[in-house]
Amino acid sequence: MFACIHGQISADLSLREFAYNFSPTIEETRPGTVVIDVDGCELLFGSAYQLANEVTLRAARPRVQGGLESTVSVAIAANPDAAIHAATRLKGVTFVSPGEELTCLGEFPIDHLDPSLVNVEKEIADETLETLKLWGVRTFADFALLPVAGVSERLGQVGVKLQQLAAGKIERHLKIEQPAPVFSNSIQLDHPIAELEPLSFIFNPLLNQLCAALNAYALATNELCVEMQLEDRTVYQRRLTLPYPMRDHKVFLKLLLLDTEMHPPQAAVRSVSIACEPVKPRVLQNGLFVPLAPAPDKLELTLARLAKLVGEQNIGSPTLLDTHRPDAFNMKHFTLTTDSDSRKRKKKSNRQSAIGRQCLGFRMFRPPLRALVQVEQGRPAQISAWGRQRSVYGKVVKLSGPWRTTGDWWRDNSWARDEWDVMVEQRSKQQSLYRIYRELDTEAWFVEGNYD
Amino acid sequence: MSYVELHARSAFSFLEGASVPEELIAAALQLQMPAMALLDRDGVYGAPRFHLSAKKNDLKAHLGAEITVQFHNSQFAIPQFQCAIPVLVKNRQGYQNLCRLITLMKMRVPKHAKPGECVVSAEELAAHAAGLICLTGSFDGPVATVLNQRDPDNEKKAQKILEWLIELFGKKNVYAELQRHFDREEEARNHLVIELARRNHLPLLATNGVCYAMSVRREVADVFTCIRNHVRLETAGRLLAQNSERYLKSAATMQKLFADLPEAIANTVELSSRLKFTLEDLGYEFPKYPVPHGETMTSYLRKLTEEGARSRYTGKRGMPTYERARPQIERELKLIEKLKLEGYFLIVWDIVRFCREAGILVQGRGSAANSAVCYSLGITAVDPIGMDLLFERFLSEERGEWPDIDLDLPSGDQREKAIQYVYSRYGKLGAAMTANVITYRGRSAAREVGKALDFDEETLSRLASLVHTWEWKDPNDSSERQFRDAGLDLHQPRIRKFFQLYQLVQDLPRHLGQHSGGMVICQGQLDSIVPLEPAAMPGRVVVQWDKEDCADLGLIKVDLLGLGMMAVLEDSIKLIRDSYGEEVDLAHLPPNDQGVYEALQKADTIGMFQVESRAQMSCLPRLRPACFYDIVVQVAIIRPGPIVGNMVHPYLKRRQGREPVIYAHKALEPILKRTLGVPLFQEQLLRMAMDCAGFTGGEAEELRRAFGFKRSEARMKAIEVKLRQGLTRKGITGKTQEEIVLAISSFALYGFPESHAASFALLAYASAYLKCNYLTAFTAAMLNNQPMGFYQPFTLIKDAQRHGLRVLPIDITCSDWLCTIEKEGEVPVLRLGLRYVKGLSQQSGQAIVRARAVRDFAGIDDLRNRVPELRKDEMRKLAAVGALNFIQAAAGPTIKGRKAKTHRRDALWQVERVTRAAGELYEELLEQDGNSPLQQMSLTERIDADFRGTGLTIGKHPVAYHRPELNKLKALRAIDIHKLRNGTFVRVAGWVIARQRPGTAKGFMFMTLEDETGVSNIIVTPDLFNQYRLELVGHSFLLIEGALQNQDNVISVKASHVQPLSLVTATAPSHDFH
Repeated sequence: MFACIHGQISADLSLREFAYNFSPTIEETRPGTVVIDVDGCELLFGSAYQLANEVTLRAARPRVQGGLESTVSVAIAANPDAAIHAATRLKGVTFVSPGEELTCLGEFPIDHLDPSLVNVEKEIADETLETLKLWGVRTFADFALLPVAGVSERLGQVGVKLQQLAAGKIERHLKIEQPAPVFSNSIQLDHPIAELEPLSFIFNPLLNQLCAALNAYALATNELCVEMQLEDRTVYQRRLTLPYPMRDHKVFLKLLLLDTEMHPPQAAVRSVSIACEPVKPRVLQNGLFVPLAPAPDKLELTLARLAKLVGEQNIGSPTLLDTHRPDAFNMKHFTLTTDSDSRKRKKKSNRQSAIGRQCLGFRMFRPPLRALVQVEQGRPAQISAWGRQRSVYGKVVKLSGPWRTTGDWWRDNSWARDEWDVMVEQRSKQQSLYRIYRELDTEAWFVEGNYD
Repeated sequence: MSYVELHARSAFSFLEGASVPEELIAAALQLQMPAMALLDRDGVYGAPRFHLSAKKNDLKAHLGAEITVQFHNSQFAIPQFQCAIPVLVKNRQGYQNLCRLITLMKMRVPKHAKPGECVVSAEELAAHAAGLICLTGSFDGPVATVLNQRDPDNEKKAQKILEWLIELFGKKNVYAELQRHFDREEEARNHLVIELARRNHLPLLATNGVCYAMSVRREVADVFTCIRNHVRLETAGRLLAQNSERYLKSAATMQKLFADLPEAIANTVELSSRLKFTLEDLGYEFPKYPVPHGETMTSYLRKLTEEGARSRYTGKRGMPTYERARPQIERELKLIEKLKLEGYFLIVWDIVRFCREAGILVQGRGSAANSAVCYSLGITAVDPIGMDLLFERFLSEERGEWPDIDLDLPSGDQREKAIQYVYSRYGKLGAAMTANVITYRGRSAAREVGKALDFDEETLSRLASLVHTWEWKDPNDSSERQFRDAGLDLHQPRIRKFFQLYQLVQDLPRHLGQHSGGMVICQGQLDSIVPLEPAAMPGRVVVQWDKEDCADLGLIKVDLLGLGMMAVLEDSIKLIRDSYGEEVDLAHLPPNDQGVYEALQKADTIGMFQVESRAQMSCLPRLRPACFYDIVVQVAIIRPGPIVGNMVHPYLKRRQGREPVIYAHKALEPILKRTLGVPLFQEQLLRMAMDCAGFTGGEAEELRRAFGFKRSEARMKAIEVKLRQGLTRKGITGKTQEEIVLAISSFALYGFPESHAASFALLAYASAYLKCNYLTAFTAAMLNNQPMGFYQPFTLIKDAQRHGLRVLPIDITCSDWLCTIEKEGEVPVLRLGLRYVKGLSQQSGQAIVRARAVRDFAGIDDLRNRVPELRKDEMRKLAAVGALNFIQAAAGPTIKGRKAKTHRRDALWQVERVTRAAGELYEELLEQDGNSPLQQMSLTERIDADFRGTGLTIGKHPVAYHRPELNKLKALRAIDIHKLRNGTFVRVAGWVIARQRPGTAKGFMFMTLEDETGVSNIIVTPDLFNQYRLELVGHSFLLIEGALQNQDNVISVKASHVQPLSLVTATAPSHDFH
């Protein structure tokens, strides 16, 4: 016999976990519907009917007592699908006597027939149900009472299967699922921890267990998720993304400590939970004659240390953005290039140099120097700009421009500026080539950099 | 120093320009530019508007285009590349070459060719270079394209390409183009171009590569770039413009930009002076009609006219005699000869002759009906002399425009035959359809702009839904309110930006469509007058200009318009001939059929042409047409002109004798006598100007046009002064003068020509006559030509049934694809055709009819075997609507000597079996008899299946089945409310068959409810509409409460409460007019 438990329960509760209280042989047919094989449960719960009553009683209990705080429907039947149909359609406890399925299910509207239970594709099932509606078949009984040969002839084996389903005659085994491996660990602290050092003693065993679990399944991870409940009742969350899948708990620990140092929690920690997304480990075959690159885990640690020193935004590889906005780039996480990548890049640069275009090197001043510019007939004539490290001042003896760029007009941070390339002669008669620009909305002048 | 912009794109470069030609000209005018050139991409789409706008503002409009040229690998030793070569038209030969070149490019690829497919080769350009001046182009020009190649020899290759251009166009006709948009790369390229120009002794030419009139339109240009490249603004990157410099710049700005190269500016003026061609010099000639030996076009037209006039003006049945008609015909012929329009009349006559010979019903409409020559030639069916119509409305010497003859043809294949005849007669390059420029409007604008701004699908749908679909626009319905109602905050920058852009893109060209019927014909090659391109429809060619452009440039056109009612009349005549054995001649219908006028007076006009709308129906019982001219008035009176001009009520009151017939001035009496002193027609307006202000016919027509749709303040003022002077001269002053001026100025905008109304009234009378006398044939023809008219097939059938027509169901053993007429004894009955089975393809339907013609079907198996085209779903649909019941009955078992009763479910049960092959193994095992275990469909199920499967039901009206429930709700039947007194509070219920919210009705909504006894009219006030918007718009069945209005037997209910009803599950959709 099979018992189906069906109910709308809150998202944070698991009906499956609840069902494990009654039998280890369960099938979670869909969220909110679970089927239990009740054979062998008699010693624990008595008859199937008693078990069903027990299920409803326990489900109504508060969650602290292992209940669901909800009313569930339970149906007992000789096969899982009849139980499912009965439980989803009828409230309370239903006992479907073997051989009498149609008496119970017969009046159910045909729309409630669930073709997915017999693995019929949705498209075919919809078409079949449409045909049934055209035939005036309104209930399970209408369908079940049609001649099987006629149905088989018209709707094929799918029709026959569905007809048996409507008649409550489908015999099948439960689809039992193994509990999924858990890749998360948490710990509740007796006393809140406010300092980093003691926290490392908490992280260590958690990461150790996590890496052991990954090892057991021959998996690694490229993302660690840390969640800490703080004393001020807030939640601290961090996500550490790794360039390659790893499972070395020592590296994880160092990375996590560096990250926590950079982004310390606002209050003392009351509980810690670490989870990871398991992925396949990286398999890499290095060439015999390829010079050794730093080990990825060590590189990652070094980068994390550097990030701690200079700030996360200021480390990585710059990549140019596809826009006319001057000096638009973003920082990409630094990764080691493979041999083939570097070869490709070398080839490209060789080709470019073969074209023989003469280009001047340009050194950007970061940040640009705010400048005072004297303008004559709309053109810069005299520049003075001072910064902490450098200063530019002198007469403009030669210039070209303006070069105007405007854009991102649909955003708040649109830009509009005129650039000039100017030759500035200083008092020492030394001449240097600079790029200056004027922001058109603020009218402010800047020196952006100099040409080599 | 002056400057002329010689390289500008308009929005007619389709997504590569952001200003319409008029905007460019307005900007040029503001900048005091003496001339300007328009070079759109691969076309001269915007040329007429550019030319006319320039002409109006005394600017010189130069023309040209950017031609996409593809070079082969072997040329210039560069891999295959494409570039845009800007060319300017120097003379007429150049213009003709340009048009031919573009035609060549467009005609060899399909309408929706991918970018890059629509190109010309270097050789083709070479063959068409004469008369053109070439510029070296901007960033996508030939020189820049070569210089941009990453090649150390690119300068040498650029030199080669320049040499090739010089060889092609001649040294004097190549200009080294320089543009300065504050761009480093562009300037570097300019240095190379200057060097090349000096080396080759080429003149420099400054242009700004204009893409929009004002810099603010750069945003639109960027949005267009996104639409063109299928990207969002956020992801478009460097596809977008670097800055907003491609606007039309003043001479001073350009001089400043090219201060180091003053000759580049000076050369623009010099080049402008060399460009002699304008569209005035188009060289268009209307084709000459090939006349028989010994005849000239003039003599032949005279001969044909005389022959026609003698046969039409017989003096019989109230017609004028030939002698009476002759002076008018002579006057018209003289004018036609003077204007050299004989060829045009002969060509139109030829099309009409072809249609007659091919059995295609044809009738001229519009102002052509004012011409006795057109009537004599058989082009029109209304006698202008008998009806005293004004010829000047059609043709006048002063106007300097071609006359406009529109021909109504049956829509569908018959019209296509006429169009293909014109193509075959004048050649593929001698005739073409006029274009229809599709512009960004409403939803399309909202969607495309929203997409560019990266709005999600849900927001896009909300933004698109903001665009109002009703004709009436509430003045309080501000954009802010609409946006707020849709949950969008206009204070949010992105939404605000959307709103601005949405407004900016309004009316900008989106793509080129095909006009429904306008054809341009040319003597010789039309492709040398205007570029031609293929239409989306196979076998059709369109010109790059729309109907208005063609008219403005004097290209004569013939409108071959498809009219559903013409097809209905044609089909009716055939059905009457085949089924009744009678011949109906539309030209000789009994003029005063009593039944017709009775039906019109009762507003029993469902299905009748032009008089079936809700507004017409509410007017008919007041106007009570009693003669043909009353129908002419009826057709014309329910129009925006008379409604806006408050002419309807005075006319009706005077007609009913409730108001005296008075005239503002005695001079108006002969003009307005027929319409009881109320001006209703454009011809009356012209006559008023002619008789009261001394205008000539041409001047009067000029007056009408000045106050018409394309009104310009200056033109109106000038002509009003002239009108007042004329009136004063004739002694009409003071209040009377004011009244006349007001009547003319307010009426000219919407007035309806009497000739057009008369042509339509003929069709209205014919349709009414056929409906009243041959209901079966008329209904069958109406049903066979759907969709058309005001009502759904269901309403047409219910109306016909109320008039006593018996309608038989769709039956596979006797239904044809179309609805047919059968005889029950001597009574004709209507058999529904297979075309009404939704989802049944015409191919399958006709295959059924073909197979049945061989021998009857022995059963569903036989049907399946003999009509392999029938798909499973089609068979199911046939069974569900009961079309297979009869085949079952014929083939099924007999019980006590009678055929066993069959029903739809039996058929469905069998269909499922025959459509699934069992295989040989099971053939013997499986059941063979037709008995099914399924229950018969209930009544409700049958109605439901009927509506779902055919959109109609021939049984009782769905509302009839719910009458007991409606009685409990105290809802009256439509027929019952006719007996009640004005002001009685009533409840009516029914199926909504039409909803209307016309622009002239100040926010009122009009609904028509249908029940088993007829229709009831509902009036919804604007306030009530706002209160019950969802119920009124979203529900099929409604219960309406309100006060009954009975004015002169026009019955309506002024709704005060609305309640949706859920009666049956499926219905046909209502016909909503927005």
